[in-house]
Order: sequence, then structure tokens, then C-alpha cells
Amino acid sequence: MRLSVANGLRLLICGWTAGLLAFVVLGCGGSGGSRVAGRVVPVSEGDFHISAPNRLTAGEYTLRVHNEGPTQHELIVVPYPSWHLPIRADGLTVSEETIQTREVGALEPGGAGAVRDLQLHLTPGRYIMFCNMEGHYMAGMHHELVVTS
Amino acid sequence: MRLPRRTMRPFAATGSRNGPIIAIFLTFALVSAASIVLSVKVTGGSQHRATAIEVASRQRTLAERYVKEVLLAREGRRADPATIGSVMAASSTALLEGGVAPAVNGDDDQTKLQGAEGAALRGEFAQEQRLVSDLTETGEAVLAGHSVAGLPQTAHEQISTTDPIERLRVLAALTSNVSLVAARSMTRADEANISNLVSTQVLLGVGGLLITVFLASVLLATTRRQSAHFRSLALSSSDLVVVLGEEGCRYVSRSVAAMVGKAESDLYGTRLGDYVHDEDRPLLQSVATTGSPSEFSFRMRNGAGEWRHLEAHTTDLRSDRNLRGVVLNARDTTDRVQLEGELTAQLDRDGFASHLSEALEMADEEREVFDVVERATVEISERTPMELLLSDSSRANLSRAAQNPSADAPGCPVRSPFSCVAVRRGTAVVFDSSESLNACPQLRGRDSGPCSAVCVPVSFMGRALGVLHTTGPDGRPLTGEAVTQLTVLAGQAGARIGTVRAFEKTQLQASTDGLTGLVNRRTGEKELRELIKARHLFSLVIADLDKFKSLNDTHGHEAGDRALRLFAQTTKQTLRDNDLVARWGGEEFVIVLPELDRFQAIKVLDRVRHDLAVAHPGETARFTASFGVTDSGQADTLEELLSIADAGLYAAKQAGRDRAVVGDASAAEPAAERATAPEEPTHGPIVAARGGRPPIHEAADEEEPRPSGVQIR
Repeated sequence: MRLSVANGLRLLICGWTAGLLAFVVLGCGGSGGSRVAGRVVPVSEGDFHISAPNRLTAGEYTLRVHNEGPTQHELIVVPYPSWHLPIRADGLTVSEETIQTREVGALEPGGAGAVRDLQLHLTPGRYIMFCNMEGHYMAGMHHELVVTS
Repeated sequence: MRLPRRTMRPFAATGSRNGPIIAIFLTFALVSAASIVLSVKVTGGSQHRATAIEVASRQRTLAERYVKEVLLAREGRRADPATIGSVMAASSTALLEGGVAPAVNGDDDQTKLQGAEGAALRGEFAQEQRLVSDLTETGEAVLAGHSVAGLPQTAHEQISTTDPIERLRVLAALTSNVSLVAARSMTRADEANISNLVSTQVLLGVGGLLITVFLASVLLATTRRQSAHFRSLALSSSDLVVVLGEEGCRYVSRSVAAMVGKAESDLYGTRLGDYVHDEDRPLLQSVATTGSPSEFSFRMRNGAGEWRHLEAHTTDLRSDRNLRGVVLNARDTTDRVQLEGELTAQLDRDGFASHLSEALEMADEEREVFDVVERATVEISERTPMELLLSDSSRANLSRAAQNPSADAPGCPVRSPFSCVAVRRGTAVVFDSSESLNACPQLRGRDSGPCSAVCVPVSFMGRALGVLHTTGPDGRPLTGEAVTQLTVLAGQAGARIGTVRAFEKTQLQASTDGLTGLVNRRTGEKELRELIKARHLFSLVIADLDKFKSLNDTHGHEAGDRALRLFAQTTKQTLRDNDLVARWGGEEFVIVLPELDRFQAIKVLDRVRHDLAVAHPGETARFTASFGVTDSGQADTLEELLSIADAGLYAAKQAGRDRAVVGDASAAEPAAERATAPEEPTHGPIVAARGGRPPIHEAADEEEPRPSGVQIR
């Protein structure tokens, strides 16, 4: 019985060590796992512009969006026949409520230097990609894309 | 090469146990210090960031307010867009580079900022600064009524509208947005910092815990090793360790249990007292309650039922919370105590032996030796019957020479030395009971009933002299110590008796005549001189065998010797014990009769002559003797007395022999002159011995045979 205390402590040490190892391994493992589908198309955003191909053939795409900063930007892709998107009453932002059902894809705001992928299934037509953060669209952050069959 | 072994020092006050303890404390100190420093640093940074976030958020409001102020001012209303613009510009500079963000009137106080850290945040604030600049320039252009189309767009904005108000609003929105984004970035950084802090704290905590647990296990192992070491020491120690508490015995070491022959648990509480000597139990109880004396002795019964003497050292640990008792470290000193007892007994014995030796040394005669023996028996055992049985010169019979005067004589009926088993064995013999099978037969059937006995032989130079005999109660003989003293007594008494007897024999040989056993002439002269000196009345007689030469010649020297011995024997028998008969030389004798004058002496001598006449000497021829008599009243010196007595003898010879004649003092000298008479041949040696005085002559006429037989006048 005298040895039980020491044995308990040893078990405790082993348990702690195992737990710590498991924590580290699982924590590292959580960061992986992005999938890439279709062609990768580089897109860059910056204050206050969007650079992307003007024409693409229909199909599956992964837009690899690089925010060159210095501020945050988002990316919304919608098919639209016109150059002019519906603007909210404030006169500063696009009415996402109006175009929401037609959205092909969207990325939430990302910080400077972020590179994010956006999966798109593009059918032939005209698309517009823009950043709808306050004033960004009005400051020139929109780009037209034509998808051909 | 042999590695040096680490020395185990279980008794050191500080040692290997302190290492882990110090390490545990250090771990706690380091972990705590790191935790505190991190917390201070992170929370300090957070405070600064909170201020910056506040200012950045304010920029958003200010941008919108600026637009309103410009519009109001353009309408001619009272407004101050310039101040708002300057506050915005100063704030954006302070946010980027650090400095003072001015106060907004009526809102808050000026705020000191540290400047943005990190490339991303700095990029955002730089953009904000550019947008603020574009905004205020646009605002100024609007107020001045200038065109805004040519204004620079320093933040790379591509505002397509030419409406100055719309442009102003877009710029305000951009400024507002970038300020919001920057504020969010700072908030996120803060959250990340706090999250990092939490992770770091958790890691520190876990690390500290792991290290502590490891060190604790090391400490535990060390402590266990030391405990084991102590336990081994305690268990292997031959010291008897007892811990006494208020409720009795609380702990006994294994050695105590082994000594008592019980399990340790059988001795706890009051049960230990069952094995402590009755006389020592109160002392032990006192020690348990008072913790003193610091050293004492007590007795405990061991498994074999023997009392063991224990010497204990007391350590009072009643105030020690770990023990709360009195610790006894005891050692079995029984062997030492016994040895001390034996040494004391040896000293007593040596004292007895030495006193006895001195007493015996002063005893010159057997009687004195016996007296010492009697006193010694009293000293050995006053009430024990003891007797010294000694053999006579024939060594055939034993008789009691001494006995313990304080007790009855044991009365051993043994008759001869060699009937005694102790004498035969030559060593002390102890009989527990006269009734046992192997008891001495001499002990059986005594009037006093059954008894025990101790018999010690008494001898001198290997010759048995007798036996020292004691009796005691049946089954309880004398102790070993008394037997040892008896042996000492027997040895010393034997040696002394032997010595005294040898001395007496030597003295006897020196003072007696070998042939007749009578006192020799030298002794006789000595005693006579003492009598004269003491001026006592005595008679002096010179006796001479008649015709002794003729006897010798006729019957041979053997017959002459026999005649001399017969004369000596008869004279001694006839005379009193205190009368002295000495052989003076040849057939001449001197008889001294104390307290008798010369006339009384004549009568005594008549009896002697009579006894001589009736004595039947066997093969010895009959003979007579002549006596010359004087007494101390006739002269003052031995020489004169001898001379007078000699004259009497001469007269007796002359008168026909076989008679006693009183010497005439006045005729002494003429008698001496007559010594040359031809009929009395001179005895050369006697003449010489008398120093020229008249010799005693042989009165016998050898040519004149006389009838045999003793003539009586």
C-alpha cells in the first residue's frame, strides 16, 4: 500500500503527458483540409480595385482571391446584364437583398494579405464581381466578367 | 575504475530531500513570475489598444459629422467643419504614428496614443490618413465652391461621380469604413493576444504542474528511500526501543518483541507492564508521565522467563507532534550486571581469603589454627553446622578438631579419612539431600533427620589431613559462594595445620634425644637456667645407670640402648607431667622436680627405683640406677647445683649403688677431686662438656659382678 501513492503520481504524469500530446496533435490537425475544384483563377483585390480575367469559358472555377490591402475587402459574384447594380437608399452600397437570390458566390471581408478560394460554377453569361463594403463599390471596386460557352 | 558511491546520510538535517523541494519552489516562482509578466504586458497593451479603438471608432462618427457640417455650412448655417476636419486629421496621425488625439468639444478629453503596430494595421491607418486628407480637401473645395473633379485621389480611390456632395459622402463612407476595419483589426489582435495569453497561461500551468509532479515524485522517492533506510536501521538495531505514551506502550522495536518472545502488537498499551519487574513498574510509569530520569535501569522478563537487566536512556518527545511520547533506548546489561556481581563476590572472597591468611599466619599452634577455623566458619555462615575433622598422626582415625561455635556440630560419623568421599575425591562435594540416591552414606539416618551437606577435603602437600564438613536444610545446601569460601578455608587451614605440624616435629627433633625421646641436654640446661632465674623451688637429680659398661659389654649395645629407653620410659611414667627428665649424655640423666626439695625428691626417686625394679624390660637385662640429689636451696648456679648433685651421685655409688643420695654442698669439690679415683674411669666427653668440672664417674665395678635385679635400699 505504501507504493500506491508513488504509482498514482506516475500514472498522473503519464496521463498528463499523453493528454498534452493529444492536444498538440489534434490542434495542428485542425488547420488543414481545403479543397480545390476546377480551374484556379487568380483574382487580386486592393484599395480600391479588382483585377481578374475579363473572359472565361463556362465551367467549374476556383477563384484564388488575394487581398493586396491595405484594408479589408469582400468579393461578391452575381450575374447581371447591366453595368449598374441596384444601389441602396444611402447611395453608397449595392442592395444585396435585391440580388441575393442570384448570387453565384461570395467571400466575406478578408484582411490585407489574405488569400482565399471561392468555388464557382460558371454558366455562360455576364457577371459582375464587386466589393460591397461601405463606399468601396462607389470608389471603383467592381469588375465585369464574360463567360462564354 | 570504480565510481564513488553516493554517501547516504540519513541523519543529516539537510540533504538530498532539499533538492526537489527547492526545485518545486523554483518552478512555482518561475511559472508565477512568467504568468504575471505576461498578464501585465498583455493587459497593458490592451489598455492602449482600447484607447486607440475608441479613437478609431470616433473617426467614423467624425467623418459623418464632417459631411453634415460641410453641408450645413454650405447652406449658410452655423457650423465648424474645419475643426472637425483638423481633429480627424490629428487623430489619424496620432493613430498611425502616436501622439495626442485632440478632444472633441463637449465629448471627451484628448487622448494620448502610442501609434499603430504591425504592418497590416499601419497600412490601414495610413489609408485612413490618406482618405481623411482627401475628405477634408474635398470638403474645403465644396465650401469654396470649387470643382472637385481635379482633386487628387491619394488613396487610389476611383470615384467616378462628379457630384461634389456624393463624392464627399463616398469619401466619408470610405474613411468611416477603414476606421471601423482598423478598429476591428485592433480588437481582433487584442482578442488574439488575450487568447494567446490564456493558452500561454494554460501551458505554463500544465508545465509547472508536470514539473512539480515530477519533482514531487523525486521527493517522494527520496523520502521513501530515507524512510526505508531508517526502517532498516531501526529494525536491524540491537537496541531496544520503546515509546511510552499516556495510554501506555505505543511502540516497541522488533528487538524488544524478540527478547520478550511476543509479537510487537502484544506489548502495546498496558500489556508491556506484564513483562516488567514488579519493583520497576512504578518507575516506568513515572518515566512515561514525566519524561525523567534521563537514565535508569529496569528489568524485563524474556521469553525464557529470565529477568534481564536493561539500562535505558530517556528522550522526552511528548511535545513532538510526530511522537507525543517518551522514547526509551535500552540496552541489555544483564551480562555486565552479573559480571559486576561476580567481581564483588570475588572481592569479598579475596577479602575473606586475605583475612583468613593473616589470621592463620599468626597461629603457631594447632589449637590456634583450630580457633581461627572456628571463627572463619562463623563468618562463612553463622548458623550452619560445620566441623573440622582431622586425622591423628597415624592417619587412621578422624576426630573433631573444631566446630562452628554458633551452631551444633554436624556430627559426621565417618571414622577414617578414606571413608570420606570428599577426601577420596580430593575435591569439595555438595549433597543436596541425604535422601537422594547418590548421597554420602554417612549422612543417612542422623538424629537431626534428612539434610544437605557440603564436604571439603583438608590436605597438606597432597596428604589428606581431614575434612571440613557442613550440613544444612534438606534440599538447600550452602550457596556456591559459601562453598567457595569453605574451599578457601579448607585449603588455607590444611596448609597451616600441615606447616604447624611439620614445625612442631622439627622442634621436637631438635630438643629431644633420638634414642630415648627425652629432652636432650641442651634443652634441659635451658629449662634449668630459666627455673633458677625464676627462683622457683626445685630439686635437681643426676641419675646414672649402674654398671652400664658391663651391660654393654655383656649383652651388646642393643641391650644397652634398650636399658636406656626403659629407664627413660619408666622415669617418665613414674614422674609427674611437669617433671623434667633429660638425657645428659651416655647413661647419665638429669631429673628436675619442680616444687620439691631434695628430701622430697629422695622419696620420689625411691618410687622410681621401685618401678625400675619391677619393670620387666623383656630382653633387656635387669639394671639399677644411682641418683645424686640437690635442690635449688643448696646453690645459686646451675654449675654448683650440678656439682653438688654429682657429689651425691658419687656418694651413692660409693655407698653401693642403686640408691639416691643428697649431695653435700661442702663435699662437692672433694668429690670433684675424687674424680680421678682409679675405680671410676673417666668419661672424656662428659669432662669436656662440664668445662673442667668433676665428671660423673661410672661407679660400676666391672670386675665385681653383682646379682642381677634391681636393688632396693
